[in-house]
Amino acid sequence: MEQTIKLRVSQIEKSFPGVKALDKIDFTVKKGSVHVLCGENGAGKSTLMKIINGVYQPDKGQIYVDENPVKIHNPMQARNLGISMIFQEMNYVPEMTVEENIFLGRLPVNKLGKVDWKHVRKYTIELLKEENLPYPPDLPLKDLTVSDIQMLEIIKAISCKSDIIIMDEPTSAITQKEVEKLFEKIAALKARGVCIIYISHKLDEIFKIADEITVFRDGAVVSSHPVGETDIETVIADMVGRKISNDYPKEDIPIGENLLEVENLENRGVFRDVNFHLRGGEILGFAGLMGAGRTEVMRCVFGLDPINAGEIKLKGRKVSVKNVRESIANGVVMLSEDRRRYGIIPVRSVKENASLASLEKIIGKGFLNAKKEHSVVNELFKRMRVKTPTMETAIEALSGGNQQKVILSKWMMRNPVVLILDEPTRGIDIGAKYEIYKLMSEMAREGKGIIMVSSELPELIGMCDRIYVMSQGKITGEIQREDFSQERIMYYATGTKERRAVNN
Amino acid sequence: MIKKYNIYLVLIILFFLCALINPNFLSIGNLSNISRQLAVTTILAFGATILIIGGMLDLSAGSVLALAGVLAVDCYKSTNSLILSLIVGILAGMACNLINAVMVANFKTPPFIATLAMMTMARGVALLYTQGQNILQLGDFVVFGQGTVFGMPVSVIFLIVIAIFTWYILKHTRFGRSLYAVGGNEAAAVASGINVIRSKYIAYLINGAFVGLAGVLFMSRINAGQPNGAIGFEFHALTAAIIGGTSFSGGVGTASGTLAGAFIVGFLNNIMNLANVDSYLQQVIRGAIIALAVIYDIWTKGRRTKGHLGNVEDKNKKQKVAS
Amino acid sequence: MKKISHVLVALLLSVALLAGCGGGSGGSAQPSAPPADSSSDSAPSAAPEDAGEQTFRVAYIARAQADSFAAWLANAVREEADKYPNISVDIMDGEASDDKVNSLIENSITNRYDLIIVQPNNGEAQRPYVEQIIAAGIFAITTNARIEGIAGGSSVDADPYMQAAVNAVAALEQVPENANVVVLNGPPGNFHADQRRLSWQTEFFEKRSDVTIVGEQIANWNKDEAMAFMEDWIQANDRIDAIISMNDNMAAGALEAVKDNPKFADILAYGVDGTAEAILLIQEGKMTSTCLQSAYDLAELLLETSNKLLTGQETEINTDIGNPLVTIDNVEQYIEMHKRAGAL
Repeated sequence: MEQTIKLRVSQIEKSFPGVKALDKIDFTVKKGSVHVLCGENGAGKSTLMKIINGVYQPDKGQIYVDENPVKIHNPMQARNLGISMIFQEMNYVPEMTVEENIFLGRLPVNKLGKVDWKHVRKYTIELLKEENLPYPPDLPLKDLTVSDIQMLEIIKAISCKSDIIIMDEPTSAITQKEVEKLFEKIAALKARGVCIIYISHKLDEIFKIADEITVFRDGAVVSSHPVGETDIETVIADMVGRKISNDYPKEDIPIGENLLEVENLENRGVFRDVNFHLRGGEILGFAGLMGAGRTEVMRCVFGLDPINAGEIKLKGRKVSVKNVRESIANGVVMLSEDRRRYGIIPVRSVKENASLASLEKIIGKGFLNAKKEHSVVNELFKRMRVKTPTMETAIEALSGGNQQKVILSKWMMRNPVVLILDEPTRGIDIGAKYEIYKLMSEMAREGKGIIMVSSELPELIGMCDRIYVMSQGKITGEIQREDFSQERIMYYATGTKERRAVNN
Repeated sequence: MIKKYNIYLVLIILFFLCALINPNFLSIGNLSNISRQLAVTTILAFGATILIIGGMLDLSAGSVLALAGVLAVDCYKSTNSLILSLIVGILAGMACNLINAVMVANFKTPPFIATLAMMTMARGVALLYTQGQNILQLGDFVVFGQGTVFGMPVSVIFLIVIAIFTWYILKHTRFGRSLYAVGGNEAAAVASGINVIRSKYIAYLINGAFVGLAGVLFMSRINAGQPNGAIGFEFHALTAAIIGGTSFSGGVGTASGTLAGAFIVGFLNNIMNLANVDSYLQQVIRGAIIALAVIYDIWTKGRRTKGHLGNVEDKNKKQKVAS
Repeated sequence: MKKISHVLVALLLSVALLAGCGGGSGGSAQPSAPPADSSSDSAPSAAPEDAGEQTFRVAYIARAQADSFAAWLANAVREEADKYPNISVDIMDGEASDDKVNSLIENSITNRYDLIIVQPNNGEAQRPYVEQIIAAGIFAITTNARIEGIAGGSSVDADPYMQAAVNAVAALEQVPENANVVVLNGPPGNFHADQRRLSWQTEFFEKRSDVTIVGEQIANWNKDEAMAFMEDWIQANDRIDAIISMNDNMAAGALEAVKDNPKFADILAYGVDGTAEAILLIQEGKMTSTCLQSAYDLAELLLETSNKLLTGQETEINTDIGNPLVTIDNVEQYIEMHKRAGAL
């Protein structure tokens, strides 16, 4: 079938001080197709998308929309050309409401410049109904989860009537159900002639929706094929420039004594009667759908949220967890799912971020021991394989995977007993993911207990010794490694109601 | 790298420019003048820097300065003890800021509102205490603001001590590191086990001590206890801090930057007075300089981020090639 | 729906605010009446209307208790009022805000005072409110500074032009030939600041074309600002013969900058106001002269005028206090005056 070309970029070049980010890029997207971009972080695909969206200006080259040469100076102009972009790391205003967000930058006004809120409200309600989203239009964004907000961004792009939609890892924070809904949406958009540029690391999902796949590496296009002419192994090989093992680096480690025991834990209105235990050398998984209460349980165990009932035992002794400081002192640390909010201090250096939880180790007798700090952090960074230009680089300038490894380094500096990792691989590239898995195995080998909360079943199944499944604020199942299967996990995760329905 | 030092470059260029424009600028007398004139606002600016780094603010500085100043003056007049009056001034500043800290840290009042309340309150107490009258005939109390030790103005010695102290606590203490984290991302600081409330208390108390000291120096310099003095000084302090590269979004700022910021303003005011520039024009120029400094700051910050991104990609590339 | 509810909320809020303001400022009139008031026999709570003899209620609305001259004046008015058994004065604080002064005027009208004395924060801002006083059939006096041209209104003031002029006339003789002088101005747009500067221009500078102004800046009535200007000026100028300042506070600041400097030991310095500090500087021989704006004289004249109006002797009075020049020759009597006022 002959398809017309909607978007074409030709010989695009872009340099940042000291590095050529894009080198002579040629790239076309056909009308009504899904074009997937793959490549490790830093390969240049985000830079290209930002050029198409008007955030950056290319040094050389030309963009054509409908084969007409265009210059795109800013995202507003891009939107007028029918281009919308959904960013991977969303910067949203927490106080902004759903409807304000949907109409951001294009609020309808009457002749006097007064906003037509009636129209906004009506339109938003219709849109939310259409998409089956159960929240009111005046709800502030801060009351939504990451996945809700991401869904909202997608809806917003659709509502802009764009015919080129760029999605930068849209599924990194949403559940399987929502992913399927998204794919249905994408299919519907395709049928309407909209073309979609889709950036993702999840190779299995790529092959479900892609019409064409283009792989970037080091600022250049290394391959571009229709989906029928390539396979997962080829794409991976193109991305990393070498063959990579798709297996999980799971090691066989003898499981030790109980480290952490949680009994009848309750946070009123969120979860209750939560009982679980974690043993030395064990990697313990927590599965469940979004909103099942996994993160909330971990926040309580870590002292970020108050405990209403129940107790926590560490190595058999009951411990008090009134706040994070106590928890850290006990040797329990947690890597948050929301790295931007609870993980990094964006403007500070990687070094400062790494030593933040261990200040007493590097500042003794009134003076900062800069040398010691440098060597301790440097050693950790080597072990964690952190890639940073200098120790003084602001952490916000690093890729997501490297930021995650800096935060991991921060916790490793405390030499913890129990390590809670909440979605540790969200939004980071394959290479970095693999390294984080390897680090988890290393830590387990040292006898630490590791809890991994994840929405990606393959990684839970690949890495864990045991998995608890949560649904609606309760633990609904416990599965041993030999019994792992995606079906079993989903069975418990979809909750008691459906199970009863099955029994009936 | 350039970004890190450009504020000092501006200072040095301005310094030589001033020296070229007016030969009197370089005289020892004039330079010592500038330092003495700057001592009070620069000490306030160090307090402001500490607070802004931690994501806070103090609008009450001018008022608390006046209150602490008149209390110190009155203490001196009744006890004749320089040390005691200095301590009273500093304690008064700390007491007011303890209230600021309670409001901000415990009651989560936005610092803008909390310290605005303190601004009105402290001025009121100062006026109530003096019944609106200036306290005169301060005698030897003037040594703080006018005296010299080995030819060095006492107020400048205080300024140097405070500058070193500020540099030290920001750079070398756990409190300093915690403060940058609290201002840079409070939620992440909490989740890293930082005692945020304590950091806020310490920040306000240090600021209070600085404001109290500034009150003593101010009253001593003008040889009067003026309950109405130093109105709007908090904004002079903020100006110096902002020009010195302290970011209002928190988590960024240094003692040396603020010192440079204060001296940029000081050189500018001084050279305009030496050249007898029209009063109205001076205000226009001062305003323009602040605007330029902020624009420049934002502009270089944007460039810095991009530059670093570039570096990261560069580095990644090299490593990938190597592996 | 949303719009309507917004409008409603806004309306409710503004009503509540108005009520709050009214209540607040009405209430604040009482506490801002200082303790001296309650010790006098005319405590506001003991309703004077019921007393056998006629007692007149006078509202004195001060510009700001925070302003040291305004505070002195308010205290002097309170003292002076004790001499009039038929007059009770309530003193209110305008907190240096037009808004506050205006609402205090409105409240006083509502409370049916017999006479309202207004020390404006900003004459033009208070003009319509003072006109309301007269429209309500209540006597109005404006003072320090008067609001000119209010029909039916009275005023008691000092003339700022004359206050500066008495200094300027003396300076004509005292300032040496080809002198270098510096000028310190008050805030631009302030009636007293502008009138005093104009007076110096007409009475001195236009008659002494030999004199050079080597520095002129706005120091906003502030001692510290004036001091910094003077410090810079003495770096740029080897010879400064006189400091011409629009008030005493700034003159004192400039003198502070040169006080131990032998080069400027003989510098002349002129101010206006007759503050305690200036009087002391004149006594020490550091300052040349000032013109006293005596709060006692103003208070005396205010109460005298009030009494005349209230007892029906006259219906409209516009009068000024004298402008005595304070020099080293007559300084002792003013030292005594300030001691009485508690400023020394």
